[in-house]
Amino acid sequence: MIQLVNVTKVYPNTHTPSLNGVSLRVERGEFVFLVGPSGAGKSSLMKLLYREELPTSGRILLDGKDLSKLPDRSVPYLRRSLGVIFQDFKLLPDRTVFENVAFALECTDVPRREIIRRVPAALELVGLRHKTHSRSSELSGGEQQRVAVARAIVRNPVLVVADEPTGNLDPENSWAIMKLLQEINQMGATVVVATHAKNIVNAMKKRVIAIERGRVVRDEQRGTYGYEH
Amino acid sequence: MSIRGWANAFRDALRSMTQSGLMSLASTLSVAISLLVLAVVMLLAVNLEFMATSVEQQVEIRTYLCAASREETQCNKQELTEDQKQSIVARVRALPNVKEVQYVTKHQALEELKKSDPTQAEALQGFEGSENPLSDEIYVKVVEVEQVKVVADAIKALPGVAKVQYGQGDVEKLLVITNAIRIGGLGLVLLLGAATILTLSNTIRLSVYARRREISIMKLVGATDWYIRRPFMLEGVFLGIFGAAIAGGTTAYGYDRLIPYLQQTTPFLPLVQPVAVITNLILGLLALGAVLGAVGSLISLRRFLKV
Repeated sequence: MIQLVNVTKVYPNTHTPSLNGVSLRVERGEFVFLVGPSGAGKSSLMKLLYREELPTSGRILLDGKDLSKLPDRSVPYLRRSLGVIFQDFKLLPDRTVFENVAFALECTDVPRREIIRRVPAALELVGLRHKTHSRSSELSGGEQQRVAVARAIVRNPVLVVADEPTGNLDPENSWAIMKLLQEINQMGATVVVATHAKNIVNAMKKRVIAIERGRVVRDEQRGTYGYEH
Repeated sequence: MSIRGWANAFRDALRSMTQSGLMSLASTLSVAISLLVLAVVMLLAVNLEFMATSVEQQVEIRTYLCAASREETQCNKQELTEDQKQSIVARVRALPNVKEVQYVTKHQALEELKKSDPTQAEALQGFEGSENPLSDEIYVKVVEVEQVKVVADAIKALPGVAKVQYGQGDVEKLLVITNAIRIGGLGLVLLLGAATILTLSNTIRLSVYARRREISIMKLVGATDWYIRRPFMLEGVFLGIFGAAIAGGTTAYGYDRLIPYLQQTTPFLPLVQPVAVITNLILGLLALGAVLGAVGSLISLRRFLKV
């Protein structure tokens, strides 16, 4: 599914690389936690996966396709097969829950009747059917993140990338979101989660990849968080 | 691109314009003012062009043929035979750039003179026949006024021609003026067009900025550049068209009022009638507004919307 070969990423005007010769492989249907101190390179790696950034050197293969060689005009079509989730939810506050989820379909020219069919199903999955017509700004943080999850999965993506999805949430809501991601994984999507949620990582016993100073320092099946904070 | 996609873009453009209502109004008005000045300049140019053309059409080379009574040395105080006169007319007709040739004998010229001033007809009676002091003349009109001197010189070089007259100097001045007006008008049109583009691109830049969050989400969920850009382009086109409509309506109304008034006060001025230009002016302005709007928004999108 994902293959990184000796990937290095150096941002302009910086000396130390954010990623330094990272190689790893994630199989289809895996659930992977990405852990490590702040600034270790987790977000950089995520950005490379959804092609927000290009690697300075090395290759990133997604389903065998080299993302560096993907022309700019093909990037939107790549992203349609991905679901991306952020710490700050990235919702449109003045729109309803339905509109926020529908937005992902609308702006990729999905027909109306398809939208009407798919959005409620996604909201059902995240348990927000009853909030369909609420404005997203009126929801709690946990609910907002669930809307973001619904938006990420409404297209049935093959890969879901979540960058600190629980960073702004209390433990209870954090658990709910992680459970949701696990459910999505069980439905067939490959899931990569960058997180600091120590207790959840330890409890879920998934594959854990630790990154420090731009390098992979640990990669364990059924791993633990492994840091004190 | 689906109809629904266009409908979304249309809706987003309208939403963006109403959300920043004052800004939209301000830029519509400044576009309107630019295009208004532009329209006035264009009307002025059209009219001056019209005047120039009608003056140009009056430019004529008067060719006087030799006669015993004329003083010019090349005439040698000789009378031309009828065959010689006809041969001169034929040679003038054969010159390049000659549009119209009219041969007027001195007899005809005298009759014309009598007709034009009946009170003098009596006095002119005594000048008929061999007493006629006038010359046989050839009136020549040219295809291109710029070439009038060349043609006149060529005619002057023909044997049997006493003198040519074509308003030497005046024609050259007229040409300088009309060319200056053409170039100046074009320059002004380009300048105002550029100003309009800048105004619109600035407005669109603010719209892009106001919707940057939405844009970043659109990119993440896989909207194409064209999908993201389309509503902003529509917005620019709308603002351009609105401004053009105001400018077009105002100038058309003003021109419609002005021309009848001018024709009463200065009836000798050749002016373009409103019916002849207003439709084209309005359509032209609308098209121009749309194009300037599209160009203006593309400029700001290129700079602010790279993937």
